[in-house]
Amino acid sequence: MNDHDTLFAQLSTLSASLVLLFGIALLWRRSLGAYIKAFRWQSLVLSLAFVMIGYFGHDPELYIIAAALLALKVFIIPWYLTRLQMRVGTEREVQPYVNIATSLIVAGLLVMLAYAITRPLVMVSKLPTRGAIPLAVGLIFVGLFVIVSRRKALTQIVGFLVLENGIALLAALCTYGIPLIVELGVFLDVLMGFLVMQIIVYHISSTFESIDVEQLSQLKH
Amino acid sequence: MTLLILMVTAYVAGAVGALLFGEGAAGRGVASFGAAVGSGAGLALGLTAIAPGESGQMLILAPMRLLPLTGMMLRLDGLSAFFLIIVGLIGLAVALYGFSYSTAYEGRYSLRMLGAMLNVLLLSLSMQVMADNALTFLIVWEAMSLSAYWLVLTENDKGETVRAAVWYIAMTHAGFAALVAMFLLLSGGDLTASFAGMRENAAALSPAMRNVIFLLALFGFSTKAGVVPLHVWLPMAHPVAPSHVSALMSGVVIKMGIYGLLRVALDLLGSGPVWWGGIVLGAGAVSAVLGVLYALMEHDLKRLLAYHSVENIGIILIGIGSGMIFQSYGLMALASLGFIGGLYHTVNHAAFKALLFLGAGSVLHATHTSNMEKMGGLIKRMPVTAFCFLIGSAAISALPPLNGFASEWIIFQSLLGGFNIPKPEVAVMMPIAVGMLALTSGLAAACFVKAFGITFLAIPRSGEAGKASEAPLSMRAAMVLLALACVALGLTPFIVVPALGQVIAGLGHLSDIPVRFTLGLSLDSPNGFGRMSPTLIGAGLLLLLALVPMVMLLLRVNWKVRVGESWGCGRLGQTPRMEYTATAFAEPLRRVFAELYRPTRELTIDFHPESKYFVQSIEYRSEITPWFEKYLYEPCLWLVRLLATVVRRLQSGSLNAYLVYVTIALVILLLTARI
Repeated sequence: MNDHDTLFAQLSTLSASLVLLFGIALLWRRSLGAYIKAFRWQSLVLSLAFVMIGYFGHDPELYIIAAALLALKVFIIPWYLTRLQMRVGTEREVQPYVNIATSLIVAGLLVMLAYAITRPLVMVSKLPTRGAIPLAVGLIFVGLFVIVSRRKALTQIVGFLVLENGIALLAALCTYGIPLIVELGVFLDVLMGFLVMQIIVYHISSTFESIDVEQLSQLKH
Repeated sequence: MTLLILMVTAYVAGAVGALLFGEGAAGRGVASFGAAVGSGAGLALGLTAIAPGESGQMLILAPMRLLPLTGMMLRLDGLSAFFLIIVGLIGLAVALYGFSYSTAYEGRYSLRMLGAMLNVLLLSLSMQVMADNALTFLIVWEAMSLSAYWLVLTENDKGETVRAAVWYIAMTHAGFAALVAMFLLLSGGDLTASFAGMRENAAALSPAMRNVIFLLALFGFSTKAGVVPLHVWLPMAHPVAPSHVSALMSGVVIKMGIYGLLRVALDLLGSGPVWWGGIVLGAGAVSAVLGVLYALMEHDLKRLLAYHSVENIGIILIGIGSGMIFQSYGLMALASLGFIGGLYHTVNHAAFKALLFLGAGSVLHATHTSNMEKMGGLIKRMPVTAFCFLIGSAAISALPPLNGFASEWIIFQSLLGGFNIPKPEVAVMMPIAVGMLALTSGLAAACFVKAFGITFLAIPRSGEAGKASEAPLSMRAAMVLLALACVALGLTPFIVVPALGQVIAGLGHLSDIPVRFTLGLSLDSPNGFGRMSPTLIGAGLLLLLALVPMVMLLLRVNWKVRVGESWGCGRLGQTPRMEYTATAFAEPLRRVFAELYRPTRELTIDFHPESKYFVQSIEYRSEITPWFEKYLYEPCLWLVRLLATVVRRLQSGSLNAYLVYVTIALVILLLTARI
């Protein structure tokens, strides 16, 4: 393994760790503002990771994707989220289903689970980025866990976006960038999904005067 | 081939036409015309296939692909042709009858659906018997079940109808699940394999696997055929469906269970151990006796007929079961006789039961009730219906020279050959079955004395019955057609039996050359145990009928007709309340079989407040214990409800809970999918 690859491996592990760290940061913060900030930083690191992979993997297409990612996830979506928060959500995540200490432990367990699951993949892989793959899978799990364990609709949206970031990171690490057209399609999907969720949040808010998804169980009967 | 195309086209055109023209006479006409042409073509196709051609062989259409790429395959062999004849014959009568009968539905219920689904049902029945691989068989089976479901649901604003339809669809799907499993096992997982391939595959399976397949097939086909204890949907669904649909369901749809059983057990599996036949024989005997016993206690004309369907399916299974037992002992001539008896009774039951349902439909049409206690005196107002119903009643009671007699005689002959079985413990089953069959026939006769007598004789028991008028032409024509079929099938066993011998020849190691029966005008069984000639009996009866007036002439009897009250007993006036009721007629038998019925009686007498010698009203209520509903299905339903309640807890309505399910599923999937 030459220096070039070693550097690449170290940098990818570092960036993936940072991305994961911002994901876990969600779990110990309560206010929505902090959530949005963490997501913003995470997306920034993610787009830097894309640039890095593009540079080492000699794929200029990734620069375009990184730029799009930067625009979408660092500026547009956080801006919308902030606006949404002003309208409906001064409510804090006061009492999540799982308290903060436990959440952090669970997050740790989930990352371990991710290592266990991806072990066969990492063993056979020859990619320099293979060390970071479990971290990306871990981020997907953490994103899911945020959605599952938090009860405010807005925090769940952030959880979904984090999950999406995890998927994008995994794709970049494993394949050095899926084709541009697919990646753009995914972005569009995220944007549309986000807009739909935003509308639903307005509706939940106006119907129940709260964005606590607990209220939705009233719809059952 | 041309006939096949004509048949399919006519049915499809009938269905589409019914949907297009919809309500009103045009829609009724198109639907009936399509169904009539289609079933006529099917009948012709079956008859040409079964009639011995120039080479003495039957016409067998080679397997053909129905639609490209769908994997559907059709083939016509003897057994298919025979059942195609049944579908065609009953379909023709039902289509004719439905034209007038459905006028009553105009404006009240959807005629579009009725007409279209009738055509779809007839089409799927015709395809059912020609299916040549499991995929086709199952798809058409489901099409048949669903179209029958829609037809049962015609009067969809009545709670009773909806309940019956739900029972029917639940039972039939339980059976369907068993059939899917059975075909998957039988074909080794490839549902598009042709039946010929399956036959080879079946021969190579282990005995345990063959047993499982047979039991699954028996369960699946029994739910459709209505074998006790899977019969409960029959007495619910048949009465609530429009009468011509009841005729079709009772006459043909439940026979698909018999067809399927024969196709799988006799054709695909070939033959099996003795206990297969034993189970079929036992189930048949139990169905026959219980069916007729419950029928006796029914005073709803159509429910009574539905229970008789259970009885007759039982008789058919007795024939088939005895055939299977003989087959496994290698007594092929007797085996053929048993199968022939079963098949003969299949077509006979189709004819007379459809006739009886159509007759009951005419009565219902005229009196707007199916409660026998409100009928009476209809023979004077509806002579054609009454006469046809009488023929049907005599046929189902197995009176010579009608068709019920001919087929039950053959089944008796087959059973009486039981002494040829080397094992005494098996051989002893045969006389028992004979006894049960005899009991069944006797009780059936008693039941139809009740059904005919209370419905058509005496004076009307209600205003509606008094105002009844004869059924319209198309309904009468349909009934007369079936009545003629009953007579014809009864008088010509010397043609029918060899034809049936050819139908089953070569299936399941039965000899390729059909067993030769000595066929003059009389019918011999191969073991020389007995002989009879319904034709001669018929001729004798005609002679006797002619003799009566001759004797009267010889004795110079006074020919003047006196009109008087029957059973006047010196009373001044007779009212319907003095008449014998159906309940009273059945009461002796209710006492005799009290162990089975466990009747609950309730007698309330209201006295005049001044003196107890003046009775104001007497209320008598008696109900019999529904064993199967109470002790078999209620626990099943209870269990299903319990499970449903447990499963329902999963549906908490909390968003987070659903997300947890997704996460857990994902994690489990990832953990188990690792290589």
